[in-house]
Amino acid sequence: MGGAVGLKGTDDVSDKALLLGAKERSGPRALEMLTELLALYHGKKIPAALFTCSNEMGANELEKAGILDYETVYDSPDDTSAKDTRLACAAFMNGKVDLIVFCGGDGTTRDIYETVGRKVPILGVPAGVKMHSGVFGMNPAATAKTLKEFIDGRLSAASAEVMDLDEELYRQGEWSVRLFGTALTLAEPHYVQVGKMCFEEVDEEAVLDDLAEYVTDRMREEGGLWLLGPGSTVERVGRALGVEKSVLGIDAVENGRLAGSDLNEKGLLALLDGRGGARVVLSPVGAQGFILGRGNLELSPAVLRKLLKMDGGEKCDKPDFDALMIIATPAKLAATPVLRVDTGDAKIDSTFDEKGHLLVATGYRSLRLVAVGSGND
Amino acid sequence: MKRNPTAFLKEEFDALVAQKLNWELRTLQGPSRPHSVVDGKEVIMLCSNNYLNLSNHPKVVEGAIEAAKKYGAGSGSVRAIAGNMAIHEEVERELAAFKGTESSLVYQTGFAANAGLIPQLADKGDIIISDALNHGSIIDGVRLSKADRGVYAHNDMGELERVLKEADGKYRRILIITDGVFSMDGDIAPLDEIYKLAQEYGAMTYVDDAHGEGVMGPDGRGMSAHFGLEGKIDVEMGTFSKAYGVVGGLVAGSRDLINYAFNKSRTWLLSGSHPPAVSGAQLASIKVLKTEPQHVKQLWENTNYFKKELVEMGFDTGNSVTPITPVIVGESAKAKDLSRRLIEEGVFALPIIFPMVAKDKARIRAMMNAGLKGDDIDYVLSTFEKIGKELGII
Ligand SMILES: Cc1ncc(COP(=O)(O)O)c(C=O)c1O
Repeated sequence: MGGAVGLKGTDDVSDKALLLGAKERSGPRALEMLTELLALYHGKKIPAALFTCSNEMGANELEKAGILDYETVYDSPDDTSAKDTRLACAAFMNGKVDLIVFCGGDGTTRDIYETVGRKVPILGVPAGVKMHSGVFGMNPAATAKTLKEFIDGRLSAASAEVMDLDEELYRQGEWSVRLFGTALTLAEPHYVQVGKMCFEEVDEEAVLDDLAEYVTDRMREEGGLWLLGPGSTVERVGRALGVEKSVLGIDAVENGRLAGSDLNEKGLLALLDGRGGARVVLSPVGAQGFILGRGNLELSPAVLRKLLKMDGGEKCDKPDFDALMIIATPAKLAATPVLRVDTGDAKIDSTFDEKGHLLVATGYRSLRLVAVGSGND
Repeated sequence: MKRNPTAFLKEEFDALVAQKLNWELRTLQGPSRPHSVVDGKEVIMLCSNNYLNLSNHPKVVEGAIEAAKKYGAGSGSVRAIAGNMAIHEEVERELAAFKGTESSLVYQTGFAANAGLIPQLADKGDIIISDALNHGSIIDGVRLSKADRGVYAHNDMGELERVLKEADGKYRRILIITDGVFSMDGDIAPLDEIYKLAQEYGAMTYVDDAHGEGVMGPDGRGMSAHFGLEGKIDVEMGTFSKAYGVVGGLVAGSRDLINYAFNKSRTWLLSGSHPPAVSGAQLASIKVLKTEPQHVKQLWENTNYFKKELVEMGFDTGNSVTPITPVIVGESAKAKDLSRRLIEEGVFALPIIFPMVAKDKARIRAMMNAGLKGDDIDYVLSTFEKIGKELGII
């Protein structure tokens, strides 16, 4: 574990506060981000109060960037570990910061998420090997821009998945990315045109409610068995139905009632056995926009073949994509304009490649065509 | 403590002001014409939709006066009950003949036409497929419908076809809606291709031609005429508030459409009909378009000259093919500076900035007008050039 920095708003602007944490190799990337941030403010004082940790956990990079106005809230030892990330985060939380900025990859994100939860939004300067989580800027310069927008009061908080390699499976030689939870990060406010020169800022929470209402209306109209995939977007559907939906797992709903909770592959197959079909509600998860194969491995090739009706004779070549109901807010789609699948079954993947796009619900009764693919063409 | 029931009024207004998203109204001391007086200052008007300057045409003004004298100041009722006057019907007959359609219907405004008619054309089990940049009144009309809504990227016919393919078989009715002329960029919808796709997939077509009426096509008969599709677009919607120089929404199409539309549109059924003066001016305006082709011709001469000169100076006018001429400068601050300086020099052109357009596409939007004289346009051009150089845009 390397450095960390913190910032807090001056009176006239806001009481925004930020932290920046860095790992060994991430020092240069943190510096790049800070230098860019300073440039965006034309070298003037950044209008936020900064909190950081000593030495390479942040203070060093701030000094190097020429930002001297900060407060150290955590003394980091020479040899830092994940424990220091957690302690630093706890210190920042005590200082009631408005945002935590860090440098690293999926591992650091998880460490921070475990301490911070959904209490404070987090923003990552990408500097890791694995970056599946949806909390990172595109690069240090882009992260600096996002940070400035936040300090200037133009961004709001939105949900993003925290994802990482499943170490247990990895040790067994399998590369599989798991969903660990949904953190808060920053999002551009999304505007819709409501008149020629008239715009409304759309509240992400309101869009999520609209989406949930749309899905529950469809459930009522169509009836049958519905599977609810993982992630915070789909979790809203459970909330709208008034059922206890697991955030990370797959649940089943029928007639407005829970018909199965946190189902594994076996459970899903058992449930589907002898039925004509079911619909599954999915939302893209993580920074790469995966709808299948990340965070929902329970939807195994065998389960998918049943759902997509690819398991029977001549129909095999004509998957029933209507079984999938993809939902995503416009803000989320803006971040992941292409949906990805990695089902572990080349045949299924290629049917998505051939289809090329899926209709995605983006609000109440609002649909948008979005590209889909396995990425291996 | 009891709640303050109206505290939100001030709070939300203050928040708009803080975000600089509030409107500050300007006042015209006199008519809207190529030389207008705005907030006490004489300016060349580049922000008006009065493309042909018909709001000041003597015959149009006379039409309003005569109708008021003959029928009075108001109509006394909604049209469905006791407010349907001969002059209202005369306008509709004249308009249908002009547009080359079987029939037509006048609404109180274009907004009322979209908000009233769209939700009646598609219901539960139907889908409305809409261009991503459609006007807000369409968006509101769509919101009032129980149909699903599919959006395709602006003018992207490939995506429209893919959405049609997805929708085919799943929905009872499909309604494609597009602006004819897009008011931010001045580009136009490829109606020929949209019509073809609609035929292929059995979809209904609805074109909002607010900025195409009186501008596009022979004699300004609109976008359907521009593409040689007179009478083929299922719903041609438009407005009298722009090139016609008056006010009022319009729908032109088959007799079946019109019978259906006025029996079902709540905005039409439940709102008082136009004052006779409005109808008189509308009628005169259609007649001027029919008999005086010089206005449309002048509009296009002015437009072509203005654009050519701007581009030669090095300005970026985007994809515009109409009198709506965006002058794209990039950052918001630059567009605001350019507008401020133009107004100081007597040229009234306003900035269009984020979130109305993308962050790096801030612009001035200049609308050409048939009433501008050669000297006026040359003055506007030289002012653009001077300030463009001053601000390092060209
Ligand atoms: C494309 C479009 N549709 C509809 C309208 C509304 O027309 P009206 O002014 O008649 O309400 C406008 C005008 O702003 C418009 O630009």
